[in-house]
Amino acid sequence: MGTKPPSLKVCVVIPAYNEASVLGGVIDAVLKTFKETKYSAEVVVVDDASKDNTPQVARKHGATVIEHILNTGVGGATATGLSYAQQNNFDIACTMDADGQHAALDVAEGINQLITQQSDLLIGSRLINNEGMSKVKILGNKGLSLATYALFGVNSTDSQSGLRVYSRKALEQLKWKTSGYEFCSEMLWRAKQLNLRINEYPIRAIYTEYSKAKGQNNWNAVNIIKSLVKRRIMEIFG
Amino acid sequence: MSRYLLLFLLNLPFIIAAILSAITLYKLNRSSLRRVITQVTLWIFVLVGLALAEPIYTWLSSNKLTMTEPLSLFDVVQITAIVIVFYIANRTREKAQVLERRVNDLHQELSIQLSSKK
Repeated sequence: MGTKPPSLKVCVVIPAYNEASVLGGVIDAVLKTFKETKYSAEVVVVDDASKDNTPQVARKHGATVIEHILNTGVGGATATGLSYAQQNNFDIACTMDADGQHAALDVAEGINQLITQQSDLLIGSRLINNEGMSKVKILGNKGLSLATYALFGVNSTDSQSGLRVYSRKALEQLKWKTSGYEFCSEMLWRAKQLNLRINEYPIRAIYTEYSKAKGQNNWNAVNIIKSLVKRRIMEIFG
Repeated sequence: MSRYLLLFLLNLPFIIAAILSAITLYKLNRSSLRRVITQVTLWIFVLVGLALAEPIYTWLSSNKLTMTEPLSLFDVVQITAIVIVFYIANRTREKAQVLERRVNDLHQELSIQLSSKK
């Protein structure tokens, strides 16, 4: 008598701050997509002390909600979500944006790719096929990827992508110190230091008026680079 | 007593304390190897600089590379104060970093624990 092999436990972490208006749709899409896959998925929304009803919306749509007491930034919220995944023995975790920028299908595809490529950290790159992305966004992201390479020696086409997939090994070992958007680059650096296998796969970015308004301003790149330079210098002194 | 010797003796305890503190933190696994190497190198550099202050000054002035006055008592006090401030700043930075890390960990753990009770 054949027994069905146990499916991999996947934790989809969504860091969210004031995303009540779109979050429900994102959770629904993820849950619907994963129902059609061989993975058993749990959606974990890390509410970074939102001022709107983000946690209530997330709960209503079937997500597990972790509520931050203080606003820490996207890096801190991601760290909390991945720590939850690690503590609850998930095999694979992935992070995605709460603004609807990422397609649920790309998340599921990322998990397949992680297993196929035997990677530890897989980055969903919006710049391998950058259709639909504005030139300003392309320039900003390329600039930050170049800064990441110059500072940390990590070559990535899209160092700022929020869609990432993590193996169990990465979940256990990967830690970073920054809590803002700069964590994206720092995470790659830490992964390189730990000799984790980093790979990329192409994803499609969905830009709506909402996600365009919520997304990072290119001027924020200056702050990110400043913070990364500071972190790099601090590392020299330990 | 020579002013150069006084300068060296006044600063020596702080430099030894800083080097010992860096090594102790490393031995207790609270600091990385890179950090201890950087810290010890930095403080040894300061120590060597102070120990060789007199011959360096003599060499510079005999070769007409400096026109400054020899070390005054005020200079001794000022340099010692700078070393002490540097020592305190370094210790404060270390403590602030540890505290920041602990607060972050506490916040993260607290959020997870509270969510599981809801």
